[in-house]
Amino acid sequence: MKALYRKWILNYWSPYLAMALAGVLSAVYFGITKTVWAVTGEFTRLGGHVMEWFGADVSDWGYFKLIGMQGNPVTRTDGWIVWGMFAGALVMVLLNNNFKLRIPRQKRRWAQAFAGGIVAGFGARLALGCNLAAFFTGVPQFSLHSWIFMASTAIGTYLGVKLIGASWWKGKPRLIKGPVEPARAASGRIQPLLGGLAALAYAILIVCFFVSGHKMLGVAALFGALFGILIERGQICFTSAFRDLWISGRATMTKAILVGMAVSSVVTLVIILANGMDPITKIAAPSTLIGGVLFGLGIVMAGGCETGMMYRLMEGQVVFLPVFIGNIAGAGLLAYAWDHTFIYRRLVETGSKINLIDKFGAGGAIAATLIVLGLLFAIARYWQNHYRFGTGFRKGAAKNVH
Amino acid sequence: MSIDFALDVRGESCPYPVIYTLDTLKEMQPGQLLQVIADCPSSFRNVPEEVVKHGYTLVQEPQKNGRDIIFYIQA
Repeated sequence: MKALYRKWILNYWSPYLAMALAGVLSAVYFGITKTVWAVTGEFTRLGGHVMEWFGADVSDWGYFKLIGMQGNPVTRTDGWIVWGMFAGALVMVLLNNNFKLRIPRQKRRWAQAFAGGIVAGFGARLALGCNLAAFFTGVPQFSLHSWIFMASTAIGTYLGVKLIGASWWKGKPRLIKGPVEPARAASGRIQPLLGGLAALAYAILIVCFFVSGHKMLGVAALFGALFGILIERGQICFTSAFRDLWISGRATMTKAILVGMAVSSVVTLVIILANGMDPITKIAAPSTLIGGVLFGLGIVMAGGCETGMMYRLMEGQVVFLPVFIGNIAGAGLLAYAWDHTFIYRRLVETGSKINLIDKFGAGGAIAATLIVLGLLFAIARYWQNHYRFGTGFRKGAAKNVH
Repeated sequence: MSIDFALDVRGESCPYPVIYTLDTLKEMQPGQLLQVIADCPSSFRNVPEEVVKHGYTLVQEPQKNGRDIIFYIQA
């Protein structure tokens, strides 16, 4: 028992395992609720509620009609996915005695985080999803928009890496001549205790949802917590899956996410066919492309996307608080701009919902998806073996100067 | 073990611990020793992976000190 606890609770998990499990769980979640694992739609609604508190009437805004504003964040399944992810991540952080206020020494990080959060929030909602609905849970729905989003996010993160590599953005570390003797840390018992209590309280809450007949809220609260546990234990970072390729050729996260999507695609297809369900297809339009580029740029500026920032915040990385606020502000801004500016008319209306199952049939769709994911995996592997920090693919660089 | 430089990246989130570490190692003489102190949980994994991939050596197992982690890397 103790060994199991040590292995699964007090150790980080392989990102491959975490993503494969997330792939299976998100497919099952779709089978139960007919919605996908997503977070930014709810962030946009939060932005809408904030605007309502300030007296704005958002009831006739096209974007809120599109995503639905019924209820509030504790009566919606999408809301409980978000709270569940926070709760699951926090419990794991506390059980590991790993909460610490991690405060950036360089003040510029605050402004960078907020700006990045806005750009990422705006871009994600322009494309109708973030790295989840327009990517990790979009590809397994065979929705073409998620492939466009993925490609354009790659472009955006490349631009982002150019930006954060500039010396005025990057800043300077604290470099000391000679060793540093950090104070010995005392071993703490309080955080694991709080973590256990939080887990218990949350479990009771889930039971209450089921007992009181709010079955779907219970399902969302449970799956949200499981997703939170997975992304925290696997240290899953969608931002790094793209960004680190451009920086130092690291592809661990890239490959893990590709594996997760492949698993999720197979399980999702089985669920779609077995239950006679329709996959969730979103509009593929110029807005998908532009949104993806902005999202990619924004997440690199912010240091994390709408998913990654959730567990980072629970770890005490306070710089992700302005990211969170920025995400909501950016999403709210997009909701306003949607039909109050040219965005819907020029960038969205021209698009259409395209699903690979309609185009190629179920067999063709899964074959095409798995082949492309496999190709991307091979490219990521090659990239990891040959791309190096500061020199890229240049010959001889791989051997290093030593 | 004589440490030539120490890099304190506590409070910095990804990807800055990796960037700063690789930047610093590049400027050092081969054989010199760098100590890196980080507290971003992701860096517990990506700093050692990237350092080794770029041809440097971890001279001892990373040390956990409470919520911080300390790496010893030879340039």
